[in-house]
Amino acid sequence: MFTRHISRQLAAHLDGELAPPKAQQAEIHLRQCARCRAESEQVRQGMQIVEHLPLVEPPEAIWRSIEAALEARRPRQAQPFIRWRWAAVATAMLALSGAAYWRLAQPPGAQWEVLRLAGSPSVAGKAIRGAGRIGAGEWIETDARSRATVKVGEIGSVEIAPGTRVRVVTERPSEHRLALARGEIRATISAPPKLFFVDTAAGTAVDLGCEYALSADERGFGLLRVTKGWVSFQWKGVESLVPAGASCRTQPQAGPGIPYFDDAPESLKQALESFGFEKGGYDALGAILSESRVRDTLTLWHLLSRVEPSDRGRVFDRMAALTPVPAGVSREQALKLDSGTLQRWREELAWTW
Amino acid sequence: MLRLVIAVCAACAIAVLARAEEFTFTIGSPVAAQDFRAKVAAFVFRTQGCPDPAKSQIGATAEGLVKGVRRSVALNVQAMSKPGVYAVYQTWPAEGQWVVSLKGTCGEANAGAIVPIGPKGFIRESAKFFPRAATQVEIEASLKALSQSENKGENK
Repeated sequence: MFTRHISRQLAAHLDGELAPPKAQQAEIHLRQCARCRAESEQVRQGMQIVEHLPLVEPPEAIWRSIEAALEARRPRQAQPFIRWRWAAVATAMLALSGAAYWRLAQPPGAQWEVLRLAGSPSVAGKAIRGAGRIGAGEWIETDARSRATVKVGEIGSVEIAPGTRVRVVTERPSEHRLALARGEIRATISAPPKLFFVDTAAGTAVDLGCEYALSADERGFGLLRVTKGWVSFQWKGVESLVPAGASCRTQPQAGPGIPYFDDAPESLKQALESFGFEKGGYDALGAILSESRVRDTLTLWHLLSRVEPSDRGRVFDRMAALTPVPAGVSREQALKLDSGTLQRWREELAWTW
Repeated sequence: MLRLVIAVCAACAIAVLARAEEFTFTIGSPVAAQDFRAKVAAFVFRTQGCPDPAKSQIGATAEGLVKGVRRSVALNVQAMSKPGVYAVYQTWPAEGQWVVSLKGTCGEANAGAIVPIGPKGFIRESAKFFPRAATQVEIEASLKALSQSENKGENK
């Protein structure tokens, strides 16, 4: 029977490399020794973790350092077998350390491919020639004559227009997020809603399955123009839902403006600008209501929750005059801004947009 | 006299109910489907007045006139996440004039629609709706009207 602890034999024992008599003795000792049982469990867990580690190509520098270390030890020829075992262990340890270091040094998630379209776009301050890659935390920048396309994981692509500065914030499969500091991007996304986000100084554009162009300056003044699907632009609880064919201005400390269809009358757009960002008030609201067509219920629906409570009735009545109020939508609930009522109404109105 | 009034009221009530239950189509732009898969659809449509939309039978064909030759393309309509809502994707050629003929059944009820397609997409204002499948004559008439309006440049 073992009278001493069997720490040194545990790895061989768990690997089944001990001769049968010694293995049997080890088993007996483990039954009686809590300390060795605990160590055995730790070793077993460690081996399981190692089995599940991904195979990673070690950096070239590691091989050079191993070769250098072996070279330095070459004159000493005593006990070659033991030395080779140590070398193998050292190699494995170095490879694992290198892999771990390499892994930690990389940004989390897979990097996205960047393709140069014109000029000299740069990623992390380095000009890219044909193609490059961009990871979380890195900036892509284009000058007045440069353009590039970023492939957004598996869900789409973003074209970076000239004079644009964009940072990749997150590149996880569940969240693809960019930060647009200035300039313009054109996003084409084919994915379920809420997987792609673009932050600006005036708020965040949330993809609901769409194609759109978003421009912004450093202060947050910008424009969102949707060509397919829907985009939600959000800022501190204020949300504008912008469908294909519509646009929405953005402004710092005000977030998204009220969306309007691009083919809306110019007089309506001007009144909207005045109402939304210039405190045009009662007169601007009157102009919006009188200029609205059936399709402009998109604008009126958003207005309902942004006008003074005393003006909601005017907005509701104009909407009701333009298109029948659907079943399940009451004036009372709409004026209270009941979320279920407003959603039901918007979904019905969308059939006219 | 009282019986006559009751009979008239009953007839009116039945007519109103029948109207309310009428099986019809509504068309809309892809955003109306509230489904990201509709993003690239030519247009979407929904059935109304069918108690169980899942049991309705829906079909569509694209009817076209390409360089004076009549063409017909069977279409696959894709059901969206909301019951009774479908998307029509453009699988017909880009050249020529085209209308999409929709037809559906819900039990004993029938519905049909002709949706003209212009250079900028479907033309809502010119769409026609029927309580039955559109006839060949109606399809030809819609194609002719579309062709004439495009020649006048009305849909550009």
